[in-house]
Amino acid sequence: MDAFVQPGFWVFVLALAGIYGIFALGLQIQYGVGGIMNFGHVGMMAVSGYTIAVLVIKYQWSFWWAAFVGVVLAALLGALLGLTTLRLSGDYFAIASIAFAEITRYWILNTDSVTGGTQGTLAIPNPLGFGGYTNQPDLILTWISDRLYPIVGDEASRDMSMIFIVWPFLFLFIWIASKLQQTSWARVLRATREDDDVPRSLGKNVFRFRLQTLVIGSVFGGIAGVFWALQFALLAPEDFLRIVTFYGWMILILAGATRVKGLIIASIFFGFLYGSTRFLEFWPLSLLSSPERAYLRVFLIGFVIVLLMLKRPQGLFGKRQEMVLE
Amino acid sequence: MENLASASSTSLDNSSSDFAILDVRNISVSFGGVRPVQDVSFKISENSFTSVIGPNGAGKTSLFNLISGMNKVSAGEIIFRQQAIQAIHPHKIAQKGLIRTFQGAKIIKRLTVAENLMMAVQGNPGDNLSGFLRIRARRDFEAQARAEAMRRLDQVGLTKFADEYAGILSGGQRKLLDLSRALMAKPSLLLLDEPFAGVNPTLVEKLIMVLGELRKEKSMTFLLIEHDLETVMNISDRVIVMADGKIIADGLPGAIYENEVVIDAYLGSRRKEIK
Repeated sequence: MDAFVQPGFWVFVLALAGIYGIFALGLQIQYGVGGIMNFGHVGMMAVSGYTIAVLVIKYQWSFWWAAFVGVVLAALLGALLGLTTLRLSGDYFAIASIAFAEITRYWILNTDSVTGGTQGTLAIPNPLGFGGYTNQPDLILTWISDRLYPIVGDEASRDMSMIFIVWPFLFLFIWIASKLQQTSWARVLRATREDDDVPRSLGKNVFRFRLQTLVIGSVFGGIAGVFWALQFALLAPEDFLRIVTFYGWMILILAGATRVKGLIIASIFFGFLYGSTRFLEFWPLSLLSSPERAYLRVFLIGFVIVLLMLKRPQGLFGKRQEMVLE
Repeated sequence: MENLASASSTSLDNSSSDFAILDVRNISVSFGGVRPVQDVSFKISENSFTSVIGPNGAGKTSLFNLISGMNKVSAGEIIFRQQAIQAIHPHKIAQKGLIRTFQGAKIIKRLTVAENLMMAVQGNPGDNLSGFLRIRARRDFEAQARAEAMRRLDQVGLTKFADEYAGILSGGQRKLLDLSRALMAKPSLLLLDEPFAGVNPTLVEKLIMVLGELRKEKSMTFLLIEHDLETVMNISDRVIVMADGKIIADGLPGAIYENEVVIDAYLGSRRKEIK
């Protein structure tokens, strides 16, 4: 039980929660507002994260420009996904989006000369003989750490500095998203969630609205990828498995798909679930090896999703009335 | 097809201009082996009120689906305000001022009643992402749209439901919402697909009055599908009768009422019920 009282554990939980909060915000806009079931959201995170690593390591770009290009590429890929598959109805689009994310991951996995392949970003060919890509942002993280040291002493860490970077962005994005969701643009989108014919018959270009939603969600997926790349400073294809998208879905369902502010509590809950299945070793977790505990995480997340669907389909903060209207 | 309009065209001319706002030219559609609309042609004069009647399966709603662009014609042309619209997207047709309601009263259940109406307003700067930063323009437009929505709700007695989810409304109330929403779009031609079904008779009378006023004040043109013959005869200045995907008669209500072909195909004994 010691880990529970270790500040380092909670710092990790919060840092991770911030990143996944931004990731889930993309899904919230796509599904909670637009009704788009994107099961390939992890692909956007992979694209931006790897773009940074490749541009910085292989081509010595500035981290900041590489991050910008990574997010733009995630948005463009969101647009490409939408243009090619958004005319498919709900379930079929979901299947196509999984395929899209898997194509992205397999491309990363099999393009060793660019991405480092199975060995991850450490194996990206680099003329300078150095495999890191976080030098520039690390200066900022260290600066924050130095300022925290007089306050928290040895607990000042890179993870703690990450909290001070990620969470302000999460709050900012949630504020922007909640403002966006009060517009008539979002009202039309919420209509398309139920019926295409009505908005179409009132002069609304349903495809345009959906495509914009997919791109905006992809931007948030891409930004989450930037923070992910920064947090872990090393990327590998297995960081972007399908399950990562469903981590985001768990947060979304827990928060209540239509309630953007619920993402804060839900992402902290997820961070705790993730961190505890990674670091906690008390009984009965001590009976399991580390990889086995990773499977336990998947089991627990599945369990939470099923439990929510059965007992509280509107999530912790959603309105039940919305779920029962026919 | 029997064209009975010419028999007493004076009455038609009194209530509508000569300009054909809609010109349907030999349109047909087929879905596999089924042909719900076959070689249908007619013109609708601006500011007129035309009803389409016929037995179930006659092709009336299919005709509306073709005119509004929800389905595409297999053959023929549809000219709206002198522009061919048979090949363009339904949202673009709606933007040109041709709005429709639906037979089953499609409402957005998880939007409030007022939001359902406000969604229909055209030219909202907030409908575009580029308008996100135009906070004042968006806010002003929304306030106007809300006021207009409340006026419409007052007309149909739904004011108290303004901020409730539309999903709680009864079938008749949904019909009223569907009709009010279409009016919010300020159409120049409104296609009404059985808007009065399930609505109480007193309110039907009031709605007919509202439509009449709109026709006078806003030069609105109406094309109505309705099974209640008394309403049709009272409200219309022209009636088109369809059966088996074709127009079997087209003319003034009085002439249609006496038409033998129409009596055989549709009116039958119901004719006696109409006063």
